Amino acid sequence: MDFILNPFVTLLTFLYRVFGNDMVLSIAVFTVLIRLLTYPLTIQQQRSTRAMQQLQPELKKLQEKHKGDREKLAAEQMTLYRQYGINPLGGCLPLLIQLPIFLALYQAINMALAATPTQMLDTAGRLLIPGLDSVIPLNSRWLNMDLTQAPNLATIGTSIESFIPIILIGLVVLTTYLQFRVTMPKAAPKTDGKPDQAQQMSQSMGTIMPIMYGFFALSFSVGLAIYFIVSNTIGIVQGLIVARGRAKFQPLPAVVTATSTKGGSTSNGTSKGSSTPARLTPSNKSNNSSARNNVKPAAKPSKTK
Amino acid sequence: MTFLRSRGGFIGAAMLLALVLTACTGGPTEPSWGDISVLDNNLILAFSGTILQLNPDDGTPINLYDTEGNVRTDPETNAPRRWEISLGATMRFYHAPLVVSEETLLVASYDRKLFQIERDAARIENTVGVDLPGHVVADVLQANGLLYVPLSEKDLLALNEDDFSQRWRFTTTRGVWAAPLLLNGVLYLTSMDHFIYAIDAESGEEIWRVDTGGAIPSAPLLYNNSLYVGTFGREIVQVSLNGRIIARYSTADWVWGTPVIANNILYTGDLVGNVYALELTNAGFTELWRHQVTTRAIRPTPVVYEDRLIVASRDNFVYWLNRNTGDTIVRQDVRGEVMAEMLLLEPAEGLNITQPMLFVNTMARENLLFAFPADGNGEALWKYPR
Repeated sequence: MDFILNPFVTLLTFLYRVFGNDMVLSIAVFTVLIRLLTYPLTIQQQRSTRAMQQLQPELKKLQEKHKGDREKLAAEQMTLYRQYGINPLGGCLPLLIQLPIFLALYQAINMALAATPTQMLDTAGRLLIPGLDSVIPLNSRWLNMDLTQAPNLATIGTSIESFIPIILIGLVVLTTYLQFRVTMPKAAPKTDGKPDQAQQMSQSMGTIMPIMYGFFALSFSVGLAIYFIVSNTIGIVQGLIVARGRAKFQPLPAVVTATSTKGGSTSNGTSKGSSTPARLTPSNKSNNSSARNNVKPAAKPSKTK
Repeated sequence: MTFLRSRGGFIGAAMLLALVLTACTGGPTEPSWGDISVLDNNLILAFSGTILQLNPDDGTPINLYDTEGNVRTDPETNAPRRWEISLGATMRFYHAPLVVSEETLLVASYDRKLFQIERDAARIENTVGVDLPGHVVADVLQANGLLYVPLSEKDLLALNEDDFSQRWRFTTTRGVWAAPLLLNGVLYLTSMDHFIYAIDAESGEEIWRVDTGGAIPSAPLLYNNSLYVGTFGREIVQVSLNGRIIARYSTADWVWGTPVIANNILYTGDLVGNVYALELTNAGFTELWRHQVTTRAIRPTPVVYEDRLIVASRDNFVYWLNRNTGDTIVRQDVRGEVMAEMLLLEPAEGLNITQPMLFVNTMARENLLFAFPADGNGEALWKYPR
């Protein structure tokens, strides 16, 4: 991790010096820069997630159709992905690449602030620009709070400033919730009226994530709460950009044959001549290039003999 | 994994994950690096939230005795009671207790508390402790009826010894991570705000201050009317007792430990594993040698023993170097990072040891304390816990 962590600690310390020893501003700008750097990955991941969501009805139909034949199901699913130009790992890979970056970002903030002697020792040797040592240790005081310490709720009500920790935690919860809502589109309800497990899980995540982040903000440093708020806000903006791209894309309804079921045969050899009209939204190159990566129209429905 | 499919199960699992993540992350629950000292001819060891006494000769725990000299026993198990205090895993001591009277010890914790310990009974007098307005990672200094308490966020407190009320508070712009040095009624205080301050010990008034250009995490060393400090500005700085910078020497990285001087030669280590020997001359520092002994941090102050210089590192090793050349003579694996100060003891009246010994406190709980022959030759004499 050092190859990511050391430049991050250096950048954060450099920003601190540039912005006149203002740690909060440095954390905010640092978070914005890192989120911008990972923007292509984030966008790719969000688009892929949305595309997969759109394909869910088709995938469910395939699952019902090929119950008990995993090989056939996998082959049909791959065919479907190919037809719509979706990489099923497209949502995971960018996330995997981003994970160490965000972990390093979090660690960099902790290290730069260095509340304890051990954390300060861990910071040693990480500054890659000569002369930055002169600003160590960074000023961790902000609005009468210590950025290295967890918010102190015991003093609430003693002054106007004492409400800041609770406001920060509230903002963490709110922005986490909004980011989740913006980036995770609601799944289409099932036609049979039964509760959809994926949707249930998604709803649970929408409830639990803000609570979890609120809990983190309460347990860890105030500096980290500021990072959460800024990072979530950028996530909301990015999510809105992706959602807007999708909205432009939707008004072009098209009925496509999503699977090659017409005239196809099942594993037991019985023919099931059912075409599957999908309310999917294949991309229109002339209309929206951003959607190109999501769902591509099937040039020709493939057929199986 | 079917329980995850229910909403309750999923929420429970997520909460559990949150708790696990909280526990795994550094910061709030990070252990302290502890300290060793001598009390009543025994070793007194403070680490995390525990303070205990050990026999320096063999590392066995010291028992508690009653007024008639009999070993106190546990009324339920009849086992001998040890001189040991535990304030829980969340409490963190960076320094061993200070003897403030015949009956009482005093210890400050990182957790903004000051505790009084009944010396004979190994009992905390007030288990809640006295609240402090900041964290403490440095020794508390006692003098003239006052307790000087350095706060790691900022400032030095002077508390009345009898009731812990505040006499004065000296303001710094960053933390104070080392105890002040008291000389002729003047406190010489180093701070992470880059300054060395001279303060009137009685009134708390500033006499002078000097900017060294880098954070100073350790106490100054007084030698021949000069103060010597290592800084995060990658320097060793010599300052006169009237606040004038006399000499500087550039190191490869941050210097944390207080330097040590023997035979007019200053020895120090930096946080990337270099060790330096600098001759003190009228012109300032003259480099005799410098060696990259290890690639990990050398945090504690080096120890001088006869012709050897002993340094300890985060690489889990203690090194005995030739003082004249800096070459490594022998090294010992202590199977834990060394961040705490080492302790050298030589046989003396009342002290139950038969040879000079070096005590090394590590961060590994299973290898907390090692005793070596002071010259480093041979195996460890003992380790605690066994």
